Amino acid sequence: MKILLSIAGIGLIAGLLLLYWIFNKPHRDVAKEKGIELTAQQLYDAFKTNEAQANSLYLDKAIQLNGTVADFSTNQAGQKVVNFSTNDPLVMINCTFKTDPGDLKTGDTITFKGICTGYIPDANVVINEGVLIK
Amino acid sequence: MKNFYLTLVALCFLFTVNQISAQKTFGTRNGQIIFQSPSDEDVKAINNEVSSRLLENGTLSFSLLIKGFKFKMAEMQDHFNTQYLQSNQFPRADFKGAITNISSVNFAKDGNYPVQVKGDLTLHGVTRPVSSNGSIQIAKGKPLAKANFTILIKDFGVNAPEVTEKVTITVNCQYQ
Repeated sequence: MKILLSIAGIGLIAGLLLLYWIFNKPHRDVAKEKGIELTAQQLYDAFKTNEAQANSLYLDKAIQLNGTVADFSTNQAGQKVVNFSTNDPLVMINCTFKTDPGDLKTGDTITFKGICTGYIPDANVVINEGVLIK
Repeated sequence: MKNFYLTLVALCFLFTVNQISAQKTFGTRNGQIIFQSPSDEDVKAINNEVSSRLLENGTLSFSLLIKGFKFKMAEMQDHFNTQYLQSNQFPRADFKGAITNISSVNFAKDGNYPVQVKGDLTLHGVTRPVSSNGSIQIAKGKPLAKANFTILIKDFGVNAPEVTEKVTITVNCQYQ
């Protein structure tokens, strides 16, 4: 009987721990990950040339981009956003910050690291959850 | 006489091209769309990287990346991507359609204009017609599009009866 109670007790504790983990599992912190180093143009070229292959290489991966800020704005949720230009005037690399990078302006050269969520043809390659490296 | 007709056709063509190019386009790369279960308030995700274009003739498109939806709970976000929406296989959702009563919107005058929208929504690799009521708010010449509609996720090949059967989609896109 004692053994059965012990097993039930362990099972209950394990179940509660699992529930706790499910509700409190932390979101990814890209600051702790090593990013794949690319330029904005290299990232766009990869998606434009072969979207499926670029998805397998970069989707959900930490990407580190070095480039010149084409524009700096605030989105509707109050997060800061930087766009990097490509050689296609319609297409930008759209980068949303998770943490406030401070005051940036058009023409600044920065290094940004974030998680690539994919490609929207004729519009953007999107990277979010980003942090300013320098 | 033949030359006259050819010239007439060429002039008509040029006039048409000129009319098309004269359409003003409003766009955003960072519009907002919220995805929420009407039966469970925890099942809620926000995407702040919606690309959208709105033409003065009423043509309207939205595109977003499924991986851009952020949930409060990381575990729920993982399940949403891997188990239900299979976002590696179907990374994008698109809407292509039009505002059917665009003549009632005066883009040159600030105000709130009720609109009806119809079009095709592609989600999880399945395209279905959808329609919604919404509004276009013009402030300082810039439109803000708002709409709210509900879909049955099984219509798009997503089966999650243990989580939710319906999803309410809220559109909130400020154009530049």
